This record gives sequence, structure tokens and C-alpha cells, in this order.
Amino acid sequence: MSSVAAQPKLRRLSYLWDLLSVLVGRDIKLRYKRSFLGTAWSLLNPLAQFIILNFVFNTVLPLNIPNYTPFLFTGVLVWNWLNTALMLATSTIVDNRDLIRRPGFPPAVLPLIAVMSNLIHFLLALPILALFVITSGSRLTSTVLWLPVVIVLEFLIILSLAYFLATIQVTFRDTQYLLGILLLLGFYLTPVFYDASVVPPRYQVAYHLNPMVYVIDAYRAVLLRGETPNFQALGLIALAAGALLLMGYRVFMRASYHFAEEL
Amino acid sequence: MRGAINVQGISRAYRRYNADRPWTWQEVLVRGWRRLRPAETFWALREVTFNIAPGRMVGVIGHNGAGKSTLLRLVGGVGRPDAGRIEVHGRLGALLELGAGFHPELTGRENAMIGGIISGLTRAEVASQFDSIVSFAELEDFIESPLRTYSSGMIMRLAFAVAAHIEPEVLLIDEVLSVGDLAFQEKCLQRIGEFKSRGCTILLVSHNADLLGRLCDEVIWLRAGRLVAHGPAGEVTTGYVNEMSQLGAHPHSPVQPDLALP
Repeated sequence: MSSVAAQPKLRRLSYLWDLLSVLVGRDIKLRYKRSFLGTAWSLLNPLAQFIILNFVFNTVLPLNIPNYTPFLFTGVLVWNWLNTALMLATSTIVDNRDLIRRPGFPPAVLPLIAVMSNLIHFLLALPILALFVITSGSRLTSTVLWLPVVIVLEFLIILSLAYFLATIQVTFRDTQYLLGILLLLGFYLTPVFYDASVVPPRYQVAYHLNPMVYVIDAYRAVLLRGETPNFQALGLIALAAGALLLMGYRVFMRASYHFAEEL
Repeated sequence: MRGAINVQGISRAYRRYNADRPWTWQEVLVRGWRRLRPAETFWALREVTFNIAPGRMVGVIGHNGAGKSTLLRLVGGVGRPDAGRIEVHGRLGALLELGAGFHPELTGRENAMIGGIISGLTRAEVASQFDSIVSFAELEDFIESPLRTYSSGMIMRLAFAVAAHIEPEVLLIDEVLSVGDLAFQEKCLQRIGEFKSRGCTILLVSHNADLLGRLCDEVIWLRAGRLVAHGPAGEVTTGYVNEMSQLGAHPHSPVQPDLALP
């Protein structure tokens, strides 16, 4: 066992906070520095997806969902955060071998940084969503106050998967590629552009094994329908995600003792 | 005691894989799991024990693959020993993997902040030392330019300057010291001398026996992962050089510049 002992707890905490914020800031700066559109670039991807899906399911194959614009944009934003964060978290160890080899650097912050920087992009897009909600004629009600709870829950779900994925990618370098395929399937098996109620009854139970079904519905409940979310389901998911996160973190930490030589 | 390093019977095994080890799920599907198992494990370090008192400058010498870098990494908390204990008391600094986290698209200023944080400083500490970092790196005129416009020497100077501005109680140094031009190397050695005179404990890895003999108080000699000797620098390096010349090998690598503390 090695211990870098005797650092006062408080300094350690403020140090970790600085480390996270500077590295998250680096991620975000880098993503917009490469393009002349700036931060707007990070909005382009969900916006483009939104425009296409909106055209297809409003005009070509109308789904007849009332207030489809904010309904769809919520789904796209929520899914995009999960999608991008998981893809980045998966390769974060392999992509940062210099940091992994640097004495004193805690590898466990890397997946966290991937999830957090994509959370920032998600938050930056929320004003546009609010604009869609208001211009479509509905109004935000006080249930919006539950939004942070739903965001924290999604954060927990993403992070709980991130530690496993980052660990596996070190051993199998095409994990990210497979994940891309799984996420594409997930996109269709999650009510991003349609409503879960149209899934035939005999598939409903299996369909609802996907926690993102509840998460997306919770976002729509608090943002669009002015309802409180389904706390029972969300509570269960939080417990499961919490347990998974603990496991994933342990697996990650154990594997991390070998990262430096396997990269 | 702050600054002390205690290493208690540490061993570290490395896994060596077959050349056709599968690295992707695809290969596993095609060729199966079997080749995934390590071909062999070998001991990079075997039951190494030593204690370093605060304020000592200690060299680690040995052939390539003797376990020097593994030892330095483990003391730095990168990975863990498979057996044994390592205790490092006090704030840790490291002059290895310099420039980790730097990005070519970011400016010198932004990279200095990132480098400082990664070296263990808080944001406020980097900010308060910023001018001193820049002037040490001699990059006043370039600090707002993106790193991709720097020469590799300039990047190393910035990286070293950042890492040299923490106030470590224990400092780890790997070979390097071949940073930038001769004048800058001189400056680096001077800086290391300052750390030493302030009572910082220093662990320095090199296979240059002359350098270690001159700079260090003590030297640890590793051979194939085992500790051969630990004692006064002159004695141990002489023993090492003698063995090397008996084996017909040159005692120090020709690429090492001839350096000394001023």
C-alpha cells in the first residue's frame, strides 16, 4: 500500500475541485477552439438531429404528439448527453496516458471529467429548450424545480457506466466502437422521438427495463407536463445506479494499478 | 517525519503478453480468449526495502530494466506494489512525465495553469506564482501564444518551470535533466540544488554513475528488480562501475550530458 499521507483534508478537497474544474474547462475550451463557431458548435449536433427528426416525425410520418417541438428537443438533449459522455468516458484512460503516468494524478477523475464536461454542454442548451417550451405555447411551472434532481439522476446513471467502460477499453480497444453500435440501438429503444405509451402492451415490461425510459419521461414531466416525476421509479433507479457506481469504481480502481503499464 | 520515504519489502510483477494477444473484442470472437492470458509474469521489483531520511538526495542506479522507473512510479503512487508497503511523508513533487495534460491548441498561459494543477498546486497557488513560472521558463513574449507555435525546447522549458514551482518535500526525478539548451540545464540543476538546500528529499533515477556520484548523498543499486546495495554514493557507484566494466559494458550512456550541481 502506498500512501501520500499528511495532506490536510480541506486542502485536498479544494485541490480536487480545482483539478476537476481546470480539466473540465480544458475539455470545453478545446472543443470550441477548434471551430470558428465557438461553443455554438456543441449545440449544432443536437440541433441538427432535432431538425431532421422533427421533419420526419412531424411532416413525413406524423406521430401526432401534441407540442412535438419541445417534446422532441428534450429527448434529443437528454439522449445526447448520455451518448457523448459515454463515448468520451470510454476512451478517456487510453487517450490520457501521460496523465495516468504522472505521479499524484488520480485516474478516477478522468471518467468524471468526461461526464461533467458534457453536463456543461447539456446545461448550455437548456435555455434553447426553455425557448422552445415557451414559444410552443406551454409554460414552465413550479415542477421545473425538480429538474436538478432528474439531472443528478442521469449524471449518476452515466457515471456508473463510465467507470466500467473506461476500464474495459484499456483491455479491448474496440469497446468504444461496439458502444457506438449499442448506443444507436439504445436511441431507438428509448422514447427519444416517440412516446413510450405507443409500445404494445406485451412489450411494455421489457421495454421499461431501460432506465432511460423513466429518465426521459421524468424530464418531460417536470418541463412540459407540469407534473412531479415518478419518484418511486426514480428512487429505485438511483439505488441501482448508486450500487453500480460503487462496483464500477472499485473495478476501475483495482484495474488502475496496472493502467500505467498497459497503455 | 515529513520528507521521509519508507519502502518495506515491495515487489511488483509485470505481465508480459504474447505477441498475438487479442486487443479487440473482434479478435476475441475470431481467435478466442486463450491468448489473452499473460505469457509470463516477471518481477520488475522483488522484495526491495530501504528507508530514506528527510533531506537526503538519493540516486537510483541500475541497468535498463533493473526496475528503476518502476520504483520511481510506485513511490509516486502510480500503481501499487503487489506486496509490501510504501510510505511517502510530505508533499510530493515529480519531474517526470513533464508536460502531461498540455495541449497544442491552448496558450502557454492556459497550459501553465493545467500543468500547475496537475503538478499538485491549487488554482490560487498557480496564479500567485505565475509570473515567476513564466520568467523562469524565459517565455514572457510567447505566453499568450498557442503551444503549437512553440519549439519542443520551449515546451519542455514551460513544463519544467511549472513543475519546479511547487514546494515539494519529496521530489522524484527521472533521467531527464536534458531540458533545453545548456544554459537552461544549468538553471534546472541550480533549482534542484535549491530544493536540496531547503531540506527537500530527492530521489533521482539515472544510469549515469558519474552524475549520481557527484550529486547524491546515497545511492541505491538495483539489478533485475533486486536491491544490490544501498549506501554512500561514492561507494555504491564505484561498485556499479566495476561490475559494468567487468561485464564489458560502458558504465554510462553516451547521451547523458556531463552535468554537475553548481
